[in-house]
Amino acid sequence: MEQLVMVLLFVAFLQNRIMDLRKAVACLCLQSAIIAGACLISGFANGSGLHSVLPGLLTILVKVCLIPYALFRLVGKLTDERELVADINTNYSTALSAFFLMLSYVLVDKMLPGIGDRDIMASSMGLILIGLVLIVMRSRAIMQIIGLMTMENGIYLLGLAMTEGLPTVIELGIFFDVLVAVLVLVILTNRLNVSFMTTDTNVLRRLKG
Amino acid sequence: MQTFIYGMLGLPLVFAFVAISGFFNNSVLHILNRTIATIVGGIFVKMLMQMPPGEVFNSEYFYLDALSIWVLLIVVVLYVASAWVSKSYLVREHKRGYLSRTPKLIGRYYALYHLFILTMMLVLLLKNLGLMWVGIEATTLISALLVSFKFTRSALEATWKYIMVCTVGICLALLGTMILYYAQLTATGTEKALSWLWLSQHGDLLNPSLTKLAFLFIFIGYGTKVGLAPMHTWLPDAYSEAPSLISGLLSGALCTCSLYVLIRNLIIVIPTIGTAFIMDLFFVFAFLTIAIAVPFVVVQRDIKRLLAYSSMENIGIMIVGLGIFSSISVGATLLHMFNHALIKFVLFYIAGTVIQEYQTKNMMRIHGMVQEAPHTATFLLMGMFAILGMPPFGLFFSKFNIIFSLFKDGQYLLGSLMIFLLAGILIGILYHVMRMLCGRAKRKAYADLLDHTDTPFLAVLLIGSIIVGMGLERIPYLNSLLLEASQIVVGGVHI
Repeated sequence: MEQLVMVLLFVAFLQNRIMDLRKAVACLCLQSAIIAGACLISGFANGSGLHSVLPGLLTILVKVCLIPYALFRLVGKLTDERELVADINTNYSTALSAFFLMLSYVLVDKMLPGIGDRDIMASSMGLILIGLVLIVMRSRAIMQIIGLMTMENGIYLLGLAMTEGLPTVIELGIFFDVLVAVLVLVILTNRLNVSFMTTDTNVLRRLKG
Repeated sequence: MQTFIYGMLGLPLVFAFVAISGFFNNSVLHILNRTIATIVGGIFVKMLMQMPPGEVFNSEYFYLDALSIWVLLIVVVLYVASAWVSKSYLVREHKRGYLSRTPKLIGRYYALYHLFILTMMLVLLLKNLGLMWVGIEATTLISALLVSFKFTRSALEATWKYIMVCTVGICLALLGTMILYYAQLTATGTEKALSWLWLSQHGDLLNPSLTKLAFLFIFIGYGTKVGLAPMHTWLPDAYSEAPSLISGLLSGALCTCSLYVLIRNLIIVIPTIGTAFIMDLFFVFAFLTIAIAVPFVVVQRDIKRLLAYSSMENIGIMIVGLGIFSSISVGATLLHMFNHALIKFVLFYIAGTVIQEYQTKNMMRIHGMVQEAPHTATFLLMGMFAILGMPPFGLFFSKFNIIFSLFKDGQYLLGSLMIFLLAGILIGILYHVMRMLCGRAKRKAYADLLDHTDTPFLAVLLIGSIIVGMGLERIPYLNSLLLEASQIVVGGVHI
């Protein structure tokens, strides 16, 4: 489990450095696969039967297969496949992510003292904050979707570490919501591409006041 | 009872599939839409008759008490009213508006609209806090498709902001819900995970610091969805770009539903956290929300954005009422939810009509409505008086009671501040409305578009707000429902 979390953090930091949309989606896919692995490990450790592996299998189905597939198709429709922000932005966002990771260790020690799995908790908290950094610092619509998914993965991992997973009905609902959210965002990005000829969200600045 | 619930949820779902299938033409869809909404309203009335205000209905997934019935009443009233006026709105848009080239979209509109109402009713019927979260997130996604319904550039921009800000906020609420579940696990074990009833009965067992952390996340999360400053940035954009009927529902019904979920969480955490912390937290956000709304109302040019900022002001007032947490203020808050929903729906509908009449949203280009479009002008004036809290409209009584309980609580400074801010809103809105109504018309209106197909429903909603505000004591059922609901909020559940 600890090794998995280390790889996960590495992937999350890698996400900060990638400017190519296709590679970024692949990176997200890898990140979700690691979450699915963690989910399966914890499922096998805590019980047997379908109930314990179901969340892991669902993660593989929804987050590793369906969502990256939709995002890859979307990238295929775009003409320009690179993030538009300046390269210096990657350095800022990496530095911010590192700071937030430290902050999340401090937060976990302060808020939940003496909890087991300190590293997992802190890194999932870090993952949530890295997702926020990605949403704020990137301007391409797809990059923001990836940030949102990173954040969701972080929350999911935190839930897994803290409570060994929510009840099955709620988890099913959350997976469904995540899937629909990405579908709606993909539709919107498509429309952005048609209406604005770009998926750069910086052009969205007409509505003010 | 279970049958009623399935009926209420099933009928809109079936109709959504029928509408999207494209099997029926638009005139049939208009009729079916009204029929389905009326039947759902009938089922709800039947449900009310079987359930006296003090009773609860409790099954594995559904839970109904006075609080959920009160909010459900708001949603169902708006559902029926919006279904009956939607035909005239859509026909007008079909003739001159954004639907003129694509009449097929009416089917899609109806499908999304019924699904939207369905998810809101689902949120109100559910028992489990986790599932309520799922429902709230589903309302965001479906309403996002409705906000972007026109697919113009500005509608896309509004939707992108709406979905990004709200989903991030709602994700934080999920985090809070998970921490609450962890607190439940450490206190009482895995039994009845996140069941609202169980948690509200065993709220005092939860670990205080964990619960406080959980509630902070939940407050920020659902607060984003309600539209509290500084997470409100999506709100004016989404309200102004959505089709007018949907803006009314977003403001009247969806905000109310999110607030309902926040109240449900509040009931659980109150025994462990205590009211002092809650009061500080709520007051800071509520006064910030009202204060931010004032300047934007005064300098506003877009009529729907004006209404959106007025919604923020009213949300702020409701949050103040919850923060005081006395039985008067909570009762007044629930009453305010009802009145605000009714009046705001009417106002957004009229704003939509004004936009159709003048083909502009810019209030600076609209003058002399009294001469040009007398019916619309009358309703606009009445609606604006109502939303500003002038007697005899219901909002006067709820606003008055909230400010009264603020003073009664000893918060003289905050009470005066609130009156000062509300006066600012009043001046701003009245200035704009009088500019639009009076003066000489420089620009001809297309026609006075309000006619006998929709004015009765608007009048019923306006008068309904007066009746509920003034004569609540004379309507035994509603009065005891409101008392019972505020008792649930203030006193918790002890069965």
